[in-house]
Amino acid sequence: MQNNPPIISLKNVHKYFGDFHALRNINLDVEEGQKIVVCGPSGSGKSTMIRCVNGLEQHDEGTIMVNGHTMSSDEKIGNLIRQEVGMVFQSFNLFPHMKVLDNLTMAQRMVRQKTKAEARDTGMKLLERVGIAAQADKFPSQLSGGQQQRVAIARALCMNPKVMLFDEPTSALDPEMISEVLDVMTELARDGMTMICVTHEMGFARSVADRIVFMDQGEIVETGEPETFFANPAHARTRAFLDQIISH
Amino acid sequence: MQEVMNWSDEFLAGTFVIIKLFFISLVMVITWGLLGATAKLSNSRIARGIANGFTVLCRGTPEFLLLLIVYFGSAVTLTSIARAINPEIRFLDIPPFWAGAFAISLVIGAYATETFRGAFLGIDKGYIEAAKALGMTRFQVFWKLRVPMMWRLALPGFGNHLLSLLKDTALVSVIGVEGILFTAQQASSVNHKPFTMYLTVAFIFLALSTVIVVTMKCVEKYAYRHLEAAR
Repeated sequence: MQNNPPIISLKNVHKYFGDFHALRNINLDVEEGQKIVVCGPSGSGKSTMIRCVNGLEQHDEGTIMVNGHTMSSDEKIGNLIRQEVGMVFQSFNLFPHMKVLDNLTMAQRMVRQKTKAEARDTGMKLLERVGIAAQADKFPSQLSGGQQQRVAIARALCMNPKVMLFDEPTSALDPEMISEVLDVMTELARDGMTMICVTHEMGFARSVADRIVFMDQGEIVETGEPETFFANPAHARTRAFLDQIISH
Repeated sequence: MQEVMNWSDEFLAGTFVIIKLFFISLVMVITWGLLGATAKLSNSRIARGIANGFTVLCRGTPEFLLLLIVYFGSAVTLTSIARAINPEIRFLDIPPFWAGAFAISLVIGAYATETFRGAFLGIDKGYIEAAKALGMTRFQVFWKLRVPMMWRLALPGFGNHLLSLLKDTALVSVIGVEGILFTAQQASSVNHKPFTMYLTVAFIFLALSTVIVVTMKCVEKYAYRHLEAAR
């Protein structure tokens, strides 16, 4: 199994915001094709950790390797990594002044140097895949939250990434729209995408994740396969957290 | 009325001069505004210092004065340089039209710097991060996202600057640019009807500024069509 080096590898990573120690000695390896779910209370550093993976935040100590490159503050290396790592945000962040299809084609043309026709082709295929090809010529504000988030996933997939990062992709959605986004993510997982998902959707975690990472106060408290993680959490902090989110 | 008609050719020509002045200055205004705002928001202390100096100087002095300083200052400098090379030369200046366009653009550009800076700050960071996450370079993000998002936020303030810019074109008659105010001065010195002549100038400015106001309304409507569509 361990023939290939992990596609993502965090070693002794620390991150500070001023005096606040946001990440404490994070160690995490992700193999190609693995699905990792990261959970934990708010402020535990989950988002910060995945934002360090694609360099949206700069880590202060330790090493982060992504797809063979060592993350640094050098913009060129950061971009090289980001080109292969897709990211989906809690607040969708679709470019509001561009139509849906243009949201999908812009980076393809600028970063991948595709022609307009190629980019539109890829864009339409991915919109079909997430089930919203009919909305291609609308503006993001005309779409529901769930549709916008699916567009955002399609936009990231347009770049043909090796890894997808999800930063609480369903937290800003109305309850009835959560499943349409999770369905897309589940399908993506089935297709073999390497994924790191920060989410509180435990049903999704149980069915999709290879490993669940529990974070609290900036450190990884516990890592485990879903069955053991839910049935038999090793740490009291994990148990307390699970009790809280499952009691509702 | 007859007095105005007698000078209609000159008024028409003068109108074209100020329109040309307006557009040439406008290009410079946008350039100074973008440069200034980017500098003020940059990490470089030197760039911020220069931009701050620029806005303090150009917003803090009357445009009329700045116009005189730019024109006569450049003329004096150019003349002395030229004379050092060839003592025969009496006088050398930057064409008044260009000196005027430049001077006006500095003032309005300083105001635009602040408007653009505020608009750049108004952009939700999430969009920039999304673009960055797609692997776009800082340069691409600037031109493809920051600027298109910024100008929408800057529009209301920028509309005001356009009106100021138009009105400032009246000033250049003092350095001999043959705009409509220059025409009115000449005409009234011949026909002794200053009131009629200056009223004509006022009407022309009013007509042009109305065009700007209406245009800006249309531009704003276009700029926010992506939000209009959702209603």
